Amino acid sequence: MTTEPVAGSEFIAHEAPTLRETSEEIEYEMRSAEGAMWTGGRLVIGIGAFFFGSLAFAYFYLRSSNNEDLWRPNHITAPTGIGAAVFAFVVASALLYGYGTTRLRAGNTLDWEVTGWVTVLGGFTALGLQVWEFTQLSFFPGSSGYASCFIAWGVMNTALILGGLYWLETLLARWLRLRRAVLDDGGPARSTMPVARLFRANLEGCWYFWGFIAFVNLVFWVLFYVI
Amino acid sequence: MNGGGETHHFRRLGVIWAVLAVAFDLVYYFAIGPHVPPGTLTSTASGAQFDFNILFLVAFPVMAAVWVYWAYALIVWRGSKSDLAEPEGGPKSRGHLGIQVGWIATTTVIVLGVFVFGTVELIVPAGAGGGEGPSPIWTPTSHEVLPIQVIGQQWQFTYRYPTFGGFESRQLMVPAGTTIAFHVTSLDVIHSFWAYQLGVKADANPSVDNVAYTTTKQPGAFTVRCGELCGLWHGAMYNFGKVVPKAQFFVWAQSTEHRSAANTKNLPPFAYTYVPDANGANGGYYPDNVDPYSKVETYGATSPGK
Amino acid sequence: MAIDTRESVSAEHSGHTAPPVRPTRRRPGWLGPHLGRALVGAVGGYAFGHWIGNVIGSGYINVQGSGQNDVAIVLGLSIGVVGWLAGAGMLDYPLAKIAGREPLPPAPSKSWTRYLGPALDHKVIGLQYTVVVLLFFFTGGLLAMAIRTELLNPTSHVFGPGTYISVVSEHGTIMMMMASSIVIGPLGNWLVPLMIGSRRMAFPRVESFSLWIFAAGYLVILAALPLGGFPTGWTGYAPLQTQATGGMDAYLVGFAVIGIGMICAGFNLLATIINYRAPGMTWSRVPIFVWSVLATAALLTLATPTLVAAGLFGVLDRTAQTAFFVNEHGGSSYLWENLFWFFGHPEVYIMALPGFGIVAEIFPVFTRKPLFGYRIAAAGMIGVALLSFFVWQHHIFQSGINPDMRPLFMLTTELISIPTGFIFLNTMGTLWKAKIRYEVPMLFALAMGFNFLIGGISGVFLSDVPVNVTVHGSFFVLAHFHYTIMGGLVFAFFGGLYYWLPKMTGKMMDRRLGKWHFWAMFIFFNLTFLPLFLVGLLGQPRRVFEYAQNLQTLNDVSSVSAFFLGASFLIFVFNFVKSIFLEPKPAPPNPWNSLGLEWQTPTPVPAYNFARIPVVLADPYHYGTSDGQAVADLGPRTLSLAGVVAPAAGALDAQAVTGEEGSADPRPPIA
Ligand code: HEM
Ligand SMILES: [Cu+2]
Ligand SMILES: [Cu+2]
Repeated sequence: MTTEPVAGSEFIAHEAPTLRETSEEIEYEMRSAEGAMWTGGRLVIGIGAFFFGSLAFAYFYLRSSNNEDLWRPNHITAPTGIGAAVFAFVVASALLYGYGTTRLRAGNTLDWEVTGWVTVLGGFTALGLQVWEFTQLSFFPGSSGYASCFIAWGVMNTALILGGLYWLETLLARWLRLRRAVLDDGGPARSTMPVARLFRANLEGCWYFWGFIAFVNLVFWVLFYVI
Repeated sequence: MNGGGETHHFRRLGVIWAVLAVAFDLVYYFAIGPHVPPGTLTSTASGAQFDFNILFLVAFPVMAAVWVYWAYALIVWRGSKSDLAEPEGGPKSRGHLGIQVGWIATTTVIVLGVFVFGTVELIVPAGAGGGEGPSPIWTPTSHEVLPIQVIGQQWQFTYRYPTFGGFESRQLMVPAGTTIAFHVTSLDVIHSFWAYQLGVKADANPSVDNVAYTTTKQPGAFTVRCGELCGLWHGAMYNFGKVVPKAQFFVWAQSTEHRSAANTKNLPPFAYTYVPDANGANGGYYPDNVDPYSKVETYGATSPGK
Repeated sequence: MAIDTRESVSAEHSGHTAPPVRPTRRRPGWLGPHLGRALVGAVGGYAFGHWIGNVIGSGYINVQGSGQNDVAIVLGLSIGVVGWLAGAGMLDYPLAKIAGREPLPPAPSKSWTRYLGPALDHKVIGLQYTVVVLLFFFTGGLLAMAIRTELLNPTSHVFGPGTYISVVSEHGTIMMMMASSIVIGPLGNWLVPLMIGSRRMAFPRVESFSLWIFAAGYLVILAALPLGGFPTGWTGYAPLQTQATGGMDAYLVGFAVIGIGMICAGFNLLATIINYRAPGMTWSRVPIFVWSVLATAALLTLATPTLVAAGLFGVLDRTAQTAFFVNEHGGSSYLWENLFWFFGHPEVYIMALPGFGIVAEIFPVFTRKPLFGYRIAAAGMIGVALLSFFVWQHHIFQSGINPDMRPLFMLTTELISIPTGFIFLNTMGTLWKAKIRYEVPMLFALAMGFNFLIGGISGVFLSDVPVNVTVHGSFFVLAHFHYTIMGGLVFAFFGGLYYWLPKMTGKMMDRRLGKWHFWAMFIFFNLTFLPLFLVGLLGQPRRVFEYAQNLQTLNDVSSVSAFFLGASFLIFVFNFVKSIFLEPKPAPPNPWNSLGLEWQTPTPVPAYNFARIPVVLADPYHYGTSDGQAVADLGPRTLSLAGVVAPAAGALDAQAVTGEEGSADPRPPIA
């Protein structure tokens, strides 16, 4: 979902090498590319919102229908400890990553690198816990409406966290390769290199997305464990 | 002809349209309308017919307006090979405030009119024969309502008459001049009870009691078809029913109740919904040693509450 | 100070000088990504997934001895899709990205084989889409012929009930989910960048991905047939869905796969339209077709996730044995109906809006007049898109769900016909005192108006709850949506093909054959579907293979006409093959004398579309004015003319922005 556009038209460089772009054209296309990053990042959140909105709809629909009194017999609950741990890891990762991003804006690359990789670790831990939780359930998937929704939540949250991790990891990996060139050009916060500008736009989108992941986890943590 | 003024075109269009619309509407109202399905066997059937006709009387002039205009334009304003001059463009032909506002206002008025009409026609006849869910909010005024349960299953309908000991029949008999409450449910997948000439349609969902009302008028025959795709033999899921005079109905109901008493005893007691054996129709959700009817069973695992 | 546009660009500002990061590796020749490798990947993936599924599932009682292991089928199909995508090279960059690599520059191929592999050029992808969408459409069409054959006789049968219901279900699914839901695949992808003055798509890899995953979806949906077919129609109602055999898994996986494709296609188009408009391409100059694509893309992107989620629930019910749609276990059969139609109704407008856009684009050209009420047309499309999220329960009026909400959904449904009706205001206003040229695209556009009027008005009948009691679930509904989709969208689509193919392929389609195709399609379409309104009113339910004896005449009229309707597409295919391959007649760059920006490019359009980023000066509809104003400056000396590029701190060559107007520079040579 985060395929990066290259500044300008790849085809100009390739098909018509003698047709040089003016700096103005390159700037125009750069801004389009940055804008597309921005739009794309927000759209991903929109897509996610409708995806998880559907699960929330299912949750409330089955809860209010309570067919055969089988929405949630005995108020069964998925393992609260694991659930809280998943929630805590996700939120902590998102906050940490947000902190790292602000540090990067202030020009501190090392902080960002460290927080970024720690976030990846935290995300993977949450992911592992989320999957492990499936083996610790005290109910069968088909035993109630709650159980069904919970199984779907586990699958969907795994996919969500995996997506966030992929985005974050590719950013960090790209950064490792850009590092030297960008640092020579004024650092990630100020460099005017196209790769650096797109990197900044991407970083921003990724941060918003992690915010979204944390929000979704908060909502469903409340739905499944608290109430 | 291209040179004609605006009013000139408008006048001609208006006349053609008015003549056509009025003429066709008259023909429709008197010659076609009374024969429109689903007929007049019940209150809801004639209601549906009436609504359809009213909608048609409104819709035809609208369609005629568009078609007359198009036909006129296609003939009068066709380009010719010799005349290559472009028509008059400019800001005037990009939009005309009056026409645009008029268009929106007109369509809005028509739409709101249709909506109000439809709502009245839905609420007054108590749901107009459509499925109203387990607890209908629009109920018939009649005090004598005959409940009949319709049970859909792959691939047939059966009918239970709770006022006659709850016997179950594959024949649908309905008394004339009576308000009927159809309680529609299913034992497996979604079906739809479509009693065509009765003007009744209600989906049959498992575990759901979907109620639809109608009031029969004169005796007559009708068809019941399944109106929701329900698998292989959906196309063959139909039978025929009859509206018969009240006396005849009572004779039939009482004799059937009597004849099938032995069978009725073996049926599950009458209820608005039936939960089939959980290891049956929907198959295999429970381990063998587990009681599927227990509300609190957590199936072998320790319940956190215990 | 004037600047020289030919001035070479300093390294820091160029995206093309040696990138600091090593790009992905490119494998040469037959090992590289292409269709054949994709097929191998699909088969291999299926086998692998099926094996894993058997390992996982074989321990469970309900799988043992049942002859059906849904886990194996689902995993087989899913991993098959992944294999297909890997074979098509769709995973190369996403995987290389994990190691931080840059994307590959576009493949330098000029040969026709570039159409068989991954592409970055939106025009290549657009043509790939054209071919696959026509393939979907003709597959669905053949199945329709089978349906009409069965319905020739009320009681004697050509197919068994199982085969028949599978054929109906495949027809509906392929047509609804694949053929008509993605007509912005061919036309939108091909045209949008050209229409907005862009050299590229925002996310060309996402675009290409959407194409390939759509193609995979086609294979998955077809795979339902050898897996036993599925009995639910395209709507897939549960619990029939839960009960059905292996083919149902293909339906569910297929929906998810197609849904991802729809999301990706919409995502890329949205990002492109919002961000890649040329300077001067303001929102009030954007061609109306682009507005329609914008609205459609928004629906694709935001409504489809619900379908994917619903599909996931269905898959879980069938594999992990959850109980989302099973009332007896705390689920609800209504849940699927709600989720499906919450996606499903926006989906039907996904199948309408592009048609509006195409027709509104064709009308001005062939009447030589500006589009009447441009703003209203654009506002109408956005209005339709918004409202379409609030009408879904009109599909389930008789289900017993929320009976008290029926007046509300009746209202929203009828309200949506107001913005829908704007298309008539636009076209009728444009016809006023026009000079109509009856070229083939115009004929299709006019026919779309005729058909869609019937479709739309019958929709208002359907939305009236008392009338809905009689017509719901009957052939009346079927006639309604064939009038809107086939009569509306498909007519517009073919009109659009006749209109734009000269630009897309560089060859003129034969005019006489086009007219033959048109008249055959128009007459037999109406003869096929008009009787079906009556058939429905007279009590024939949808998706049945037996019907009342007295309806045979009407059904036979419809069936026979349907065969002729099917045959009319042979004229199109013949025309296509003849005009493009056998006796190609080169098309001039602007055969219809249109003002559209896409027509101002040379034919064939170079890969980079525009040698210079154009500066747009006007909307493409100022026909009939003598001011001779150009739509766009295609060789602008400076973009700041339009005042769009403002100087950015440090990043922008200050000279470029403040460059004053001077004598026009000659355009740089194109290599
Ligand atoms: C004036 C605008 C429209 C109105 C008021 C309208 C209304 C309706 C209603 C009320 C139904 C439900 C019928 C039933 O099952 O009882 C329906 C079904 C349907 N409509 Fe429309 N409609 C409109 C336009 C469209 C358009 C533009 C399309 C597609 C291009 C479309 C495609 C469909 C489809 C596919 C179905 C049936 C789906 C199914 O059951 O398989 N409609 N329409
Ligand atoms: Cu049925
Ligand atoms: Cu709808």
